[in-house]
Amino acid sequence: MEYSDKKTQLLIASDQYLNRLGIKTLLSVVGVESDLKETNNLEELIDLLKNGKDPDYLILSDRILSYPQKKCLENLRKQCPTCKLMVIGGETMCRCDCEKFISYSCDQKEMLEQFQNFFLEPKSLAINVESSILSEREIEVLKAIALGLANKEIADRLYISIHTVISHRKNITSKLGIKSISGLTVYALLNSLIHADEVK
Amino acid sequence: MIFTKFSKMADVILTDYRLVSIIARFGVGLGFGNKSVGEVCNEHKVDVDFFLEIVNSYHNSNYFPENQLRTFQADLIIEYLSKTHAYYLNSKIPKIELCIQKMEQGTIDENSRNVGLLRQFFQEYKVEIEQHFNLEEDKVFPYILLLEEVLVNGNYSDELIERIKKEPIEIYERNHDSLEIKLGDLKNLIIRFLPPVLEDLSEQLLMELFRMESDLEDHARIEEKVLVPKVKLLEQKVLEICGIF
Repeated sequence: MEYSDKKTQLLIASDQYLNRLGIKTLLSVVGVESDLKETNNLEELIDLLKNGKDPDYLILSDRILSYPQKKCLENLRKQCPTCKLMVIGGETMCRCDCEKFISYSCDQKEMLEQFQNFFLEPKSLAINVESSILSEREIEVLKAIALGLANKEIADRLYISIHTVISHRKNITSKLGIKSISGLTVYALLNSLIHADEVK
Repeated sequence: MIFTKFSKMADVILTDYRLVSIIARFGVGLGFGNKSVGEVCNEHKVDVDFFLEIVNSYHNSNYFPENQLRTFQADLIIEYLSKTHAYYLNSKIPKIELCIQKMEQGTIDENSRNVGLLRQFFQEYKVEIEQHFNLEEDKVFPYILLLEEVLVNGNYSDELIERIKKEPIEIYERNHDSLEIKLGDLKNLIIRFLPPVLEDLSEQLLMELFRMESDLEDHARIEEKVLVPKVKLLEQKVLEICGIF
């Protein structure tokens, strides 16, 4: 696997040393291993995001943001659209645009839970909503599965490799939550992707 | 919470209502007054230790003293598993079928066709589950009972030795495809993709499916983690006694 040895990129942005130290402690408690960068001011943060590669995760204290904070955060977000963002801040920020908001007033247990969830939950909700619908190619593969074709036949028919067929199948199953062939056939019939007469 | 032979039988059910169906498989009915688990089991001639292991492992999925369960005679485990099969076929599946049938009758136009698709899907599933149970009851269970029997009476036939060599329980284990997959699919189809039909019935159907799914998981756990390892030991013993390895 070419990805397996690529470490998670993580960036911590907070003006306070103690704050960053606390975050790092929590990360090690939760068991997150990553390539870690930190910064204590907004200019450097913007610079890092503009010039470096987007980190996978950004953990940010609201104290580093310039006023108005929400506007500032919005602009930051544009610099790193793909990264997963956690904001730690006061109650006024609780509805800001991020994947996870943690209030400074959380106790130890809540903090740990939130951190755990942050790293466990799928990357971005926005992407998830979109991906719940099958792509055109996936629909083609699904139709073929529903009609009872084998992987090899599907590959030949759609001019793709068997590997690609298998990876489409995996994606279809994870998007629909349906594993069996007859279950997928019912889905295809429900959505009129195929006609009942076509099914063997 | 771990139940013991001193627990009140009523408390067992009050703690976990799902156990009603489990005790029924042991032939134990309700109305036990203030009697303890031990007393009730005695009355019904049920092996109390075995009863407790099954009830405890069902109530708490983390509790699974497999080694202890394996010390029970295979025929006790098989009797329980057979009764569980009967419970699915005679009680659970008909309830689900009835639910789907009512849904189909209660909807009109397009959606009735959709429910019809679910009905067909479940029908196929029912056939599969029946085949699976039949295979176990006709081929696998008698084989296991025979193993246990010959270890007592020493009547080792060539036929049996041949079967242990050619068709050990391991093969069955590999073919033991999971019955939960299609139930999961059916749940997903209803929750995610079926246009809403008669709320009451859909809710009832979903609850039945969830219950049957978790019951099947428990059932499979006993087969895979208790019965199969136990049979492997029996097979090995027979081969050892006959001087074949």
